[in-house]
Amino acid sequence: MKFRAKIVDAACLNHFTRVSAMIAKLAKTCTLRISPQKLNFILSDKVANGGVSMWCELEQENFFSEFQMEGVSAENNAIYLELTSENLSRALKTAQNARALKIKLTNKHFPCLTVSIELLSVSSSSRIVTHDIPVKVIPRRLWKDLQEPTVPDSDVSIYLPVLKTMKSIVEKMKNISNYLIIEANLNGELNLKIETELVCVTTHFKDLGNPPLASEDASQDRDPEQMAEVHIDIRKLLQFLAGQQVNPTKAVCNIVTNKIVHFDLLHEDVSLQYFIPAFS
Amino acid sequence: MLKCGMSGSQVKVFGKAIQALSRISDELWLDPSEKGLALRSVNSCRSAYGYVLFSPVFFQHYQWSTSVKVNENDSTTSNLNCKLGMKSILPIFRCLSSLERNVEKCKIFTRSDQCKVVIQFFCRHGIRRTHNVCFQESQPLQVIFEKNMCSNTLIIQPRVLAEAVVLFTSSQEEVTLAVTPLSVCLKSSSDEPMDLTNSVYSEMFVGPDEFDFFQIGVDTEITFCFKELKGMLTFSEATHAPIAIHFDFPGKPMALSIDDMLLEANFILATLADEPSRASSPQSQCLSQKQKRSDLMCSTNNNSKTGKNVTSKAPGCILRKAAPKRLYPNETQTDIPTLENCGSPIMKRVNGDISAVPESSVSNTEEVPGSSHLRKFSCMFFGAVSSDQQEHFDHPFDSLAIASDSEEDMNNGSSSTF
Repeated sequence: MKFRAKIVDAACLNHFTRVSAMIAKLAKTCTLRISPQKLNFILSDKVANGGVSMWCELEQENFFSEFQMEGVSAENNAIYLELTSENLSRALKTAQNARALKIKLTNKHFPCLTVSIELLSVSSSSRIVTHDIPVKVIPRRLWKDLQEPTVPDSDVSIYLPVLKTMKSIVEKMKNISNYLIIEANLNGELNLKIETELVCVTTHFKDLGNPPLASEDASQDRDPEQMAEVHIDIRKLLQFLAGQQVNPTKAVCNIVTNKIVHFDLLHEDVSLQYFIPAFS
Repeated sequence: MLKCGMSGSQVKVFGKAIQALSRISDELWLDPSEKGLALRSVNSCRSAYGYVLFSPVFFQHYQWSTSVKVNENDSTTSNLNCKLGMKSILPIFRCLSSLERNVEKCKIFTRSDQCKVVIQFFCRHGIRRTHNVCFQESQPLQVIFEKNMCSNTLIIQPRVLAEAVVLFTSSQEEVTLAVTPLSVCLKSSSDEPMDLTNSVYSEMFVGPDEFDFFQIGVDTEITFCFKELKGMLTFSEATHAPIAIHFDFPGKPMALSIDDMLLEANFILATLADEPSRASSPQSQCLSQKQKRSDLMCSTNNNSKTGKNVTSKAPGCILRKAAPKRLYPNETQTDIPTLENCGSPIMKRVNGDISAVPESSVSNTEEVPGSSHLRKFSCMFFGAVSSDQQEHFDHPFDSLAIASDSEEDMNNGSSSTF
């Protein structure tokens, strides 16, 4: 198994750092999947995560000037590593004014992802910073749990409002209730609702727009006014929103009534899918 | 009796010094003299010592008069002997940026009749804030450390050091500084094999030309406490002065110092002593830090009781060799009953009772690990301890631990006292 990659462009480096910071906010521990064309940050829907799952994908050639990898075997040309997301994020943050950043898989008594940074400094000599991030190599038999999740057939698909606004609203709602109802319809309306014995609070978002539907049948069957709703744990929604520091290029919310809510975001060229199941 | 005054911006620097010293210990000595106002603190396991001296020209006005006690034989000039709790004084100097903006003048004075330090802030809009802080009478500790005799000296701008420090997480306990004539490397250090599989190892290589002064006499790697380094760093950023790092071989204390026209600061930190048998691999078996420190304290005190040589317990410990430069509580005299408490400051109550305060780390564990891979912090202070004021009447300022040793050293060596 081999992996070495290099970033020399400052914009690419900043973007990669931002992606890594977002992942660190979304998942404490995650799986990094390295394949010839892509890098994926994966959180599988285990009970430990509360059923939440995440799939983040980026095209390696959009970031790295050099990229070489050799997977476990020719048929299974991928590497799955488990790491603490914050470690990678912090290491990348120290590469603010780097001339070059190299990442490689190394074995220093135990497997590590070594991030090696050449920093520009005021004087002529450059500084070399190295971080050895411990990782765990995930064996092939566990790979099946870490595949791209299938996008469910949603009842309603809607574009999200400004995430920062959503986040501040959900933050306030968290103080009142642990569970939130997210509902939307095909008329561009989205509601965030909390209900307790004493009080009900609803925030209405209008004119959001709906992405074009995949199949024509579905759009004719469904009444555009009818809301599809899911009851979810408010903290999971908040964690997702807290990870979005920058407003995404595209943000879609897909709701399967009483089953799951699926967020599909695009940050420039990095796609993020986040699934929050309905609480039972 | 102390009376001094400073402006708002000077208060900021003064407050930063207190904050830096608070990283070392929960107690602070206020030690005024003709040289200026010194702030001192020592940590409980005696592995770090901080000293900041503000010269009289730092202040808008500075007045120090000693109370002269005349007794039968001679007259004694006494120190203020003022020990303050950090919990009392740190909150006063909180929000330094707002203090800098609002405070027009700050006055600090002591009242010789009451054990109080009065800190007064004259703020904008005619507001005056007065803090009365009670202090305990306690002789300050001093350290003898000849920093100019160190083989390695580096002077670096605080900004460069700050950029290195961000590499490490705040949970990082120790860092290692490795130097050769060609490069300087600051890297994370861990003595727990468990830690390694979980924590990130980071290192930064800095070239010699980033230093204002670069003198490496001996290639070495020293490991010291990160928290204390950060404390000194925040202070130096406030003073905009470069930091000088003086060090030698592992085991010998290192000094971080700032020398400015207006102030002088020294943080003397213990470094981990290297065992000759220890591999340089970070995964060799070692004990945890706290246990090592207390072990060292115990072993030195055990030795003091039995009169054994320190090196019999700590073969790699460099302390003995450097002994002439440093005073050690346990060296030769076992007959002085206060010896085992030599490491502790003796607090004098106002009514004249003398009570020895044993160090908590000393009384802790009695076991001295027999593992040959032991790494111990060398402890190099001790205090200005006097069980009897009369013994030290002719050394009012240079109160040192062991009477006979100290006096000889004082007369012979060119060591400097902080």
